[in-house]
Amino acid sequence: MKRAPVFHGETDLPVLLPAARRLARRAERERLAGGPLPRLKARHGLWLLAILLLSAGVAQAQADAQVKESVITAIFKWMPVLLQGFIFNIAISFLAMVIGTAVGAVLGLMQISLLPPVRFGSWFVTQFFRNAPWLVLLFFCMFLLPFEFDLGFATIPFPDWVKATIGLALPVMANVSEIVRGAVQSLPSGQWEAAESLAFSRRQTLWEIILPQCVKRMLPPWMNLYAILTMATVLASIVGVSEMMTQTGRALAAENRPELLIPFYSFVLICFFAYCYPIAVWTRRLERRYQVKL
Amino acid sequence: MARWMKSLAAAAGIAALASSVAVSGASADAISDIKGRGKLIVGVKADYAPYGFLDSSGKIVGIEPELAQDVADVLDADLELVPVVSSNRMQFLEQGKIDLMIATMTDRNDRREVVQIVDPNYYSSGTNILTKGNFAKWEDLKGAPVCGIQGAFYNRKTSEEFGAEIVAFKGTAEALTALKQNRCVAFVYDDSFIVSRLGDPDWEGWKMPLPTIDDAPWGLAVKKGEDAFAMLMSGMIVKWHVSGRILELESKYGLEQTPFAKKMHQAFLDFNPSIER
Repeated sequence: MKRAPVFHGETDLPVLLPAARRLARRAERERLAGGPLPRLKARHGLWLLAILLLSAGVAQAQADAQVKESVITAIFKWMPVLLQGFIFNIAISFLAMVIGTAVGAVLGLMQISLLPPVRFGSWFVTQFFRNAPWLVLLFFCMFLLPFEFDLGFATIPFPDWVKATIGLALPVMANVSEIVRGAVQSLPSGQWEAAESLAFSRRQTLWEIILPQCVKRMLPPWMNLYAILTMATVLASIVGVSEMMTQTGRALAAENRPELLIPFYSFVLICFFAYCYPIAVWTRRLERRYQVKL
Repeated sequence: MARWMKSLAAAAGIAALASSVAVSGASADAISDIKGRGKLIVGVKADYAPYGFLDSSGKIVGIEPELAQDVADVLDADLELVPVVSSNRMQFLEQGKIDLMIATMTDRNDRREVVQIVDPNYYSSGTNILTKGNFAKWEDLKGAPVCGIQGAFYNRKTSEEFGAEIVAFKGTAEALTALKQNRCVAFVYDDSFIVSRLGDPDWEGWKMPLPTIDDAPWGLAVKKGEDAFAMLMSGMIVKWHVSGRILELESKYGLEQTPFAKKMHQAFLDFNPSIER
């Protein structure tokens, strides 16, 4: 009897069939498409746009069309203010990611140190910041850091958004630390043993064998973290940083027209979608390329 | 061995976290600081039309920014406005990040312990509700959902004394939307704001039926210990009351003239008639 070929994600054993079928269907589609299919699709952005236009339309209907300017005009009028706020969001996310990655990488390597105090210390810091609510860390940074540093000869100003950046860099740091530790530990111990048998020192093993293999494993979760961080930057609005969410609230307060609420917040959604969507696509692509093959 | 090392590491970690910096800008005297840098930095609201709000170019305008400009003119300095919110305005003043705070702050004793609130008060507002329903007295709100703004001090009173169920929102736009969507029967807020809404054709048929309660004065504040600057600000406030500047700004921004501003204008006219001569 000729057996049907068993494809990836499919099995002739009665285990986890529903998921296997779904995965197989997906793999089939991706084979046809010749590449990975992103789960977040561009049409989601179109939906958001549709929501914006729809809400604008509804708001328009509610408003007295003759007396008041149209909702689209209002958004257009406030766009420079809102986009200026959005630049803040991006700047905060970017800087927080740079700082968090730099410190977090060191912390992650400390977590695999052979010295117990270093290992436990970094483990404690990592766990502390990883399990603390982001907003609480943000509040601490806002109210405990000074607004300027007096160095005697010069005064370095320390504006709110820089404090928010530091506040958001702390949880990023802890998460990067865990990403690094996890990536190193996910490599099979054979890599270490082989390196040892070839008389590599620990440092050589780490730098020349382990970490190069880790980079590609860390990239997708690292980019996911960035997308999450970007969306978390709106938390800074609660502590009074003039980012997009804050500016939207202020614009709404100045306009004093309740019907503008949904269109304005939809506009914020679209801005964030337009920024995060390409990152999501790129992450999927990298995940696909660096799929673990051992 | 391993055990004490573990606790040592934990202690070191905690110590590192706890050693938060507590530096603040050194300032001997606010007035000489302001003159030195040629710039007066004032904390104002940016989300509270018409007292302080953004115009579409992103600039902060409104009644309080105009008052701040008056102070800057007197000090012959440039004006820098820093947007503040209720939760950070007193901290900014304490840290020295702003020289002066004119940010719709109700004058309360517990706040006087933290910052130096300048006498006399420059403004006042009470609490009332915006509603379509029939309420004759505050007790009628018992059990009804009432919209409010997060952090407003009268939320507690409205819920505890009168038994209303407060639904708190971030800003007035959100709260008014909820009100129009019937998610609450009334909106509890400053009476001057509600009066300004009632003039708007959008709010035809809405009313402010209850007697205003908690008519509480607003205080502008300087950092604790800045006595000279506080004296100067006292003079500024008296000048505003004498000249009717507050009344003029209320009219300019479409508010009804409040009884408090009228009363102060009258009181100070009698008090210091030489200005009018």
